[in-house]
Amino acid sequence: MVEIAPSGLPSTRWRHVRARLFHLLMLGALALVVGPALWLVGGVVARALPGWRWSVLTTLSQGTSGGLANAVVGTLVLMAGVLVLAGTTGVLTGIYLSEFAEGSRGVHVVRVAIDVLAGFPSIVLGYVGYVALCVGLGWGFSLLPALMILSFMVVPYIAKSTESSLHQVPTAYREGAEALGMPGGHALRRVVVRSALPGIVTGLLIALSIAGGETAPLLYTAGVTNNLPTWSLLHHPIAYLTYYVWTDWNQPSNAAHVVSYDASLILLVLVLVMLVVARVIVARTQRHSESSA
Amino acid sequence: MDEITGRPDADGHVASVLRTLDPDRDRPTDVLATQHLTVGFGGQAVLRDVTVALPRGTVTAIIGPTGSGKSTFLRTLNRMNDRVRGFERHGDVLLDGESIWSPGQDLLAVRRRVGMLFQRPNPFPMSIRDNVVSGVRAHGIARGKQLDVVAEIRLREVGLWDAVKDRLHGSPYRLSGGQQQLLCLARALAVGPEVLLLDEPTSALDPMSTEAVEALFQTLTPALTLLVVTHNLGQARRLSEATMLFYDGQLAEHGATAQVFGQPRDPRTARYVQGLVG
Repeated sequence: MVEIAPSGLPSTRWRHVRARLFHLLMLGALALVVGPALWLVGGVVARALPGWRWSVLTTLSQGTSGGLANAVVGTLVLMAGVLVLAGTTGVLTGIYLSEFAEGSRGVHVVRVAIDVLAGFPSIVLGYVGYVALCVGLGWGFSLLPALMILSFMVVPYIAKSTESSLHQVPTAYREGAEALGMPGGHALRRVVVRSALPGIVTGLLIALSIAGGETAPLLYTAGVTNNLPTWSLLHHPIAYLTYYVWTDWNQPSNAAHVVSYDASLILLVLVLVMLVVARVIVARTQRHSESSA
Repeated sequence: MDEITGRPDADGHVASVLRTLDPDRDRPTDVLATQHLTVGFGGQAVLRDVTVALPRGTVTAIIGPTGSGKSTFLRTLNRMNDRVRGFERHGDVLLDGESIWSPGQDLLAVRRRVGMLFQRPNPFPMSIRDNVVSGVRAHGIARGKQLDVVAEIRLREVGLWDAVKDRLHGSPYRLSGGQQQLLCLARALAVGPEVLLLDEPTSALDPMSTEAVEALFQTLTPALTLLVVTHNLGQARRLSEATMLFYDGQLAEHGATAQVFGQPRDPRTARYVQGLVG
């Protein structure tokens, strides 16, 4: 009997070695991503839980002691504001770029603008906000300049993820809708955007996480306060969690460190809840998608 | 008869009754006609000088080698090519005697009247029921509870009702390929087209599904006019009264199917239908 491809041939063995090598490399990359994430989460939870008091959520801050109610509500308000302001702007920009912009000259300008905006260091944006909005227009430390600067930061992410997920919508869906004589807007809403939703939601999630996790631009625009947010957009500073993570950590007292860890834990939980909610929304809208069949 | 003819508007009355009985009565015999249709993309001609007429209620097969312009021809008829980059055309396509590009024509209305079925089944990512009524909804033909009725009628029409009646709100992608194509057909029929353009509608299906879909096509005439692009010569012979053969962007032959396959006039047709090229 003639062996056509004996397993002992050098080339075959080399192929196995290479496959094993790549496998190990991929495992290594995975460990590099998962390891630090687990370490961070574990570290925060391990330090925050022993001193955890539920009253942190209900009492106001008193400088470096007291609770975090003002900061929790402030961060939630900021995230909701960014979702509305940057969410609509970014998603609409993405839809424009993907669906309507082909061949028009403005597109190039919009794309470059988006890339420039995405490349700006957040602290520079914050300082611009401080100079132009808080001082220049006399708005003071307040919600609106904070929202605007955070939105400038995250609109590029939302626009890009929206655009790229719309590009991935199968041509067959678009042609099917066209062939039925569906009006463009109707097809966009009912067929195209719906199937691009997971990608769009992912972009929004990243944006919201950034909005919740940013510090530098907020230092310049939101200020800080021991009080709950008011309904006014201007002239009233607003508290946020990352401020307490940073400043309380730099205090010499142990009580302040506990507050710092509490703020970190609350932020983590917020992001986690957001992830779960987004998953549920996506799962509900994608019940009929090709990939879930 | 005296009672009717005695009335002053008798002629009008009779005509209106006849129109109700046969809505196609006063219309041109040819539902679609092309006149010296030349289509190109970016200066490259893909179709050259095609003049044909498609009698209402017939099935016409379009055959020819890959790249001969069959699909381009089909997609031009419901203006699917209009937005393709570099699209140019000369000549005209008449739907019921009126140019599909005339300013008075509503593009969406043209596409409602000239429906299309694609090579690969392309249900939308929505429930089976919503798929069937998606076009109906977009055109505002029916709403609310009527949509359920439309869905049932169309699913029965394509013979899918019994298979899907218990999972109308389920995903269309759990259906077999053949069933998905029938679903797409139900969706296309639901908006009440006069012409259906079928672009290799069974090439992605297995023989059993193909048989089911073909059988269904035959029940659609004479209410509808069908135009089928196919690489399956057997299918062309089984389904159609007339056959068009495209060769290199030109209409090489057009005639009764029996003649095209039996006594082809063009030597290229002879070679093609004998399986010597293609």
